[in-house]
Parts: sequence; structure tokens; C-alpha cells
Amino acid sequence: MATNPMQQFSVHRIGPEIKIAGIDLSFTNASLFMLLSALVICAVLYLGTKEKKLIPDKLQLISELFYNFIAKMISDTAGSKAKPYFPFIFSLFMFVLFCNMLGMLPYSFTVTSHIIVTLIMAVFIFIAVTIIGFLKHGFGYLKLFVPSGVPAVLLPLITVIEIISYLSRPVSLSVRLFANMMAGHTMLKVFGGFVISLGMLGGWLPLSFSVALTGLEILVAFLQAYVFAILTCIYLNDALNLHH
Amino acid sequence: MPDFDDFKIRLKIAKDKNKNDSEIKDNAENASFMGNAFKLGTELVSAVLVGTIIGFILDSWFDTKPWLILLFFFLGSIAGIMNIIRAAKRMQQKD
Repeated sequence: MATNPMQQFSVHRIGPEIKIAGIDLSFTNASLFMLLSALVICAVLYLGTKEKKLIPDKLQLISELFYNFIAKMISDTAGSKAKPYFPFIFSLFMFVLFCNMLGMLPYSFTVTSHIIVTLIMAVFIFIAVTIIGFLKHGFGYLKLFVPSGVPAVLLPLITVIEIISYLSRPVSLSVRLFANMMAGHTMLKVFGGFVISLGMLGGWLPLSFSVALTGLEILVAFLQAYVFAILTCIYLNDALNLHH
Repeated sequence: MPDFDDFKIRLKIAKDKNKNDSEIKDNAENASFMGNAFKLGTELVSAVLVGTIIGFILDSWFDTKPWLILLFFFLGSIAGIMNIIRAAKRMQQKD
């Protein structure tokens, strides 16, 4: 039994070692769970939309709920101009949600508790949003860094601050998801360890804590996926509609 | 007509269910409030972090240790506070 609470985050290779041009591309448990969550999403959505019943069964209901949830979120936060980006935001939300939720299963691996995974997603979103902004507005997109109604003396200072604030977006987006997932899973493991070490006599208290924490973690898993998707929408809104 | 009475009862049940739907909506709103609460903390920290990193990089470029890292640390803090104010304003607009 692993007693180190950080052991659950270790990445190890499954199967043969694959090295291409000096880069380790081996299949790891992280890749396995990413693949698994993608497959589960495909399975749920395929089976849910296979028969379009008037009175939906559970899977169809779940797929329709997800669809409506994301469609409403996009139209609320980014307006009708963001409609073409629905597939991207929907896949993003589903991937983060299912990675988080699969991580809640015992003996599984939480992909989103690794900052490299969340950072890559956040940087991709950041670069994509910046490119969209420049494509839609040309160099007018730089107005984002120069707010109107600021005295000329303060303008250089404000512009630097705005640029720092803009660059902090991918960091806050990735650190939020990673920190929440890692902290939650470490806490679960620590309380699990208390149950073992306190034994039959005193183990009931940490056990009840970890039951409550599991519920909280499921809530956090959903909320973080939601926050990740809604912030993407907000950044997209800034790029498409350009008002501060 | 017994069927008619049955229909009335079923209608009443359906209407009651509709009432419960508004409760579900309230829960969804609560979820977004909690999402907002989770959002704020990292907004501040990340801007400070980015500011400090920019300061560090500029310092090693221009050989001006430690002045630019100090300057950009404070600029980053201001940016973080502005991030929070902006997020709070966005939340108030929604209501």
C-alpha cells in the first residue's frame, strides 16, 4: 500500500519505450487516461444521440443536458458571434470534465493534476484567442491594452499593467485547474492514510471526513471544468467584441 | 367521468413539477456563484507571478539586478488587483 500521498501523481510507462529524435514518446498512464476519457466521451455522446427519442433515455438526457448547458453558457457570455467556436469549447469542457471525473475513481490517475497538461490547454487557448483577436480587428486589437479615458501621463504605466494582466491569463487558467485537482486528491489520500494508521478505534472520524471530501471533490471536478470553459468564453468575448 | 378527474390529477402533478424546476434553476445559479468564488484567488496570484517573471527576465537581459524585478513585482500586484476588480464587476453585471 502506497503511503506517500504524492505517489498517486507519478507518471510511469506502460508497454515499450518509444523514443523519436531523442524525445520520450512512450505510452504512459497519463496518456492512457487521456485516451480513456476521450473514448468515454465519444461513447456517451454516440450512444446518447443514436436513437433520437421524443422521450429521452438517461444517456440521451445527459448528452442533451451537456449540449444545452454549453450552448447557453456561450450565448450568455460571448454572444451570438461565438457560435462557430461551440465545437471547440464543448470538446474542451467535456475533456476536462471527464478527465476530472475519471480521476475520482479509485486506482485511477488524474490527468488534470499535472500542470503541463493544463498549461498546454491554457496556452493553446491563449494563442488561439490572440490570433482570433488580430484576425478580427487587425492592429485595433492592441486597443485592449490602451483603455480609453486615461490621462496621458499614466498611459505607459497602464499599458504595461494591462500587458501583464493579459499575459497572466494562461497562468491563472492552468494553475487554477491544476492546483484544485492536486490539492483535493492529496487531501483525499492523506485522510485515507489516517484511516489506516488510526485503525479500527480512531479511524472512523477520518473515514467520515474522506466520504465528505469525496463529495466535495466531485463538485470541484465539475466546477473547475465549468470555470475553465466559461473563462475561455470570456477571453473569446474580449477577442470578438473588443470592449472592456 | 373518471378519466377527466385522472387528467386533473396528472395536470396538477405536472404543474407541481414545473414549480420544482425553478428550484433547479436556483441551484444552477448557485453553482455559477461558487465557480466565481473559486476563480478569484488565482487571478491575483498569477498576475504577480507573471510580473515577477517578466522582471526577472528583463533583469538578466539588461544586467540591472534587482531593480526591474522589484518594479515588475509591484506592477504585477497592481495588475492582479485590477484583474480582481474586473472579475467582480463582471459578476455584478450578470445580476
